[in-house]
Amino acid sequence: MGIINFLVYLAIMMAIYGILSLSLNLQYGFTGLANFGQVGFFCLGAYTSTTIVLVFKLPFILGLLGGMLASTLFGYIIAIPTADLKEDYWAIVTLAAAEIIRIFFLNESWVVGGGPYVGGAFGVGGIPQPLRSLFSAYTYPFFYLGIALLCLLVAYLVINSVTRSPFGRVIKSIREGDNLAQAMGKDIRKFRIKVMALGGAFGGLAGCLWAHYHGFISPEQFLPLETFLVWAMVIVGGKGNNKGAILGAVIIMAFYNSTRFLKDYIPIEEVTLASLRMVVIGVLIVAAMLFMKEGLIKEKKTIY
Amino acid sequence: MSFTQIIINSIVRASELALLSLGLTIVYDILGFANFAHTEFAVVGVYLALFLNVSLGLGIVPAAIIASVLTGIIAIFIDRGVFKKMRSSGGIIVMVTSLGVAIALRNTVRAIWGASARNYSVALEKPIITPYFRITPLQIWIIVIGLAAMFLFHLLLHYTKLGKAMRAVSDDPELAQASGIATESIITYVWFIAIGFASVGGILIGMETYILPYMGFAIIVPVFCATIMGGIGNPYGAMLGALVLGFAENFGLYINFGQVLGIEKIFHISKGLFIPTGYKPAISFVILILVLLVRPRGILGKKKAG
Repeated sequence: MGIINFLVYLAIMMAIYGILSLSLNLQYGFTGLANFGQVGFFCLGAYTSTTIVLVFKLPFILGLLGGMLASTLFGYIIAIPTADLKEDYWAIVTLAAAEIIRIFFLNESWVVGGGPYVGGAFGVGGIPQPLRSLFSAYTYPFFYLGIALLCLLVAYLVINSVTRSPFGRVIKSIREGDNLAQAMGKDIRKFRIKVMALGGAFGGLAGCLWAHYHGFISPEQFLPLETFLVWAMVIVGGKGNNKGAILGAVIIMAFYNSTRFLKDYIPIEEVTLASLRMVVIGVLIVAAMLFMKEGLIKEKKTIY
Repeated sequence: MSFTQIIINSIVRASELALLSLGLTIVYDILGFANFAHTEFAVVGVYLALFLNVSLGLGIVPAAIIASVLTGIIAIFIDRGVFKKMRSSGGIIVMVTSLGVAIALRNTVRAIWGASARNYSVALEKPIITPYFRITPLQIWIIVIGLAAMFLFHLLLHYTKLGKAMRAVSDDPELAQASGIATESIITYVWFIAIGFASVGGILIGMETYILPYMGFAIIVPVFCATIMGGIGNPYGAMLGALVLGFAENFGLYINFGQVLGIEKIFHISKGLFIPTGYKPAISFVILILVLLVRPRGILGKKKAG
């Protein structure tokens, strides 16, 4: 793989994980909802979009919207039974819910209208890439990077405007404890549900982008590991700050992908390298929580 | 599978879950956070026992005991290095940190011992076969150890100074400290006991099935579910939760829901409506959601002061 190709690939991954990180930042950084199942949104978005485009032969843009809609609904549904509960329950419920999504796509497969086989443990291949025929194999990644960056920009603008709005002030007060928001007469439950739905929409968007870039998805790709990566991004980058969330995605993705080449220089097994990489991610989370609570870019303190 | 066989399997599973849930619930009670690294500590114990048993050739019993003690000590060290610095932080902060600890622990194990399935070197023992059920000597041991652990824990909580101090810290940490209870040393014991029990539970699961770095994650949902069902912070609740969950996981697959719901005739389902085996991990999740909806404090949940 040439260096340019690798950099474009890396930039696309940074953009996709940047969206995931922004979504988690909205949930955890701003609202205090510890979603340990962020990968569930990612997975659902990827599979929904794939099904729409591959099986129903509909255009990419409808797949994108469908994937976002499915994840939005999922965020909404997951939030309903848990919205009244303490945040610790939130963590285990979301973690389990993401596993259920994965187990569902691991066990189920379907054929619609004589279309190709979708699902199961073998995954789904041949996912069409949008406007592929207009580009050469060399220029296409640049085009896709454009799409991914555009989506990242949209996610950033939407989430940024939400967190700056009166809605954003309410969710921040919820994060600091229910009492103030309750005293102001706000229905905390509704705010939490809305945050999960919006976070789901962007988590789903990231999943769609991932599926149509790689052209192949399988339940193996949506292990809890992905959730932990996104957590490292938010915590290292700076929770409660959208620029920080993107910076975190850039740093963690650069680290995660560039260490792959280490095995060309030092004799180390693939499994060992992959494990050591995750040890570093875990230690980074712990170290950031201990010594750098605010992350690299601190949350702006605004006096209203 | 016969009815009695499912009951046996359920009790075995419940004993394993109880050993793990017990520790999770007391750490939550005394330290005030949901420890997502709990089952990963158990995996550390599982692999230490593997090292002692397979690489050093120790018998499985001494290997399990030494490994569990060592794991308890590792937990104390990690508490000193990480969690102790966060005593005044909110539960969410510590919980997220425990996630980081969990990732680091699991992958350290994977880096050292690899990702493939392993087994302890234990002689295969002939199962005892009766007309109604079959049970292996190991399964009998699992039940005995589970019951013994619960009984020991009960004695500890009610008949020792340490247990009384633990209950005092659980009821009101500030009052306990003001009364001259050394909270920090209680916390040290709590980690040792909680993670030691978890390690024993993990090793028993590893002996009954096989050993994988991923096994900690595979049991985190049932363990949390049993703990929440029993009411977080309540050790007896955790035991009861483990029992309910053990039965639910095993009976869940054999219940014909078509018959139970009475929809068999309406939809003409001739083969019956069962939960597919692939969805077994989903059972504990569904129960978790139901418990949270109906009784968020759990079956035996207690009211926390404040």
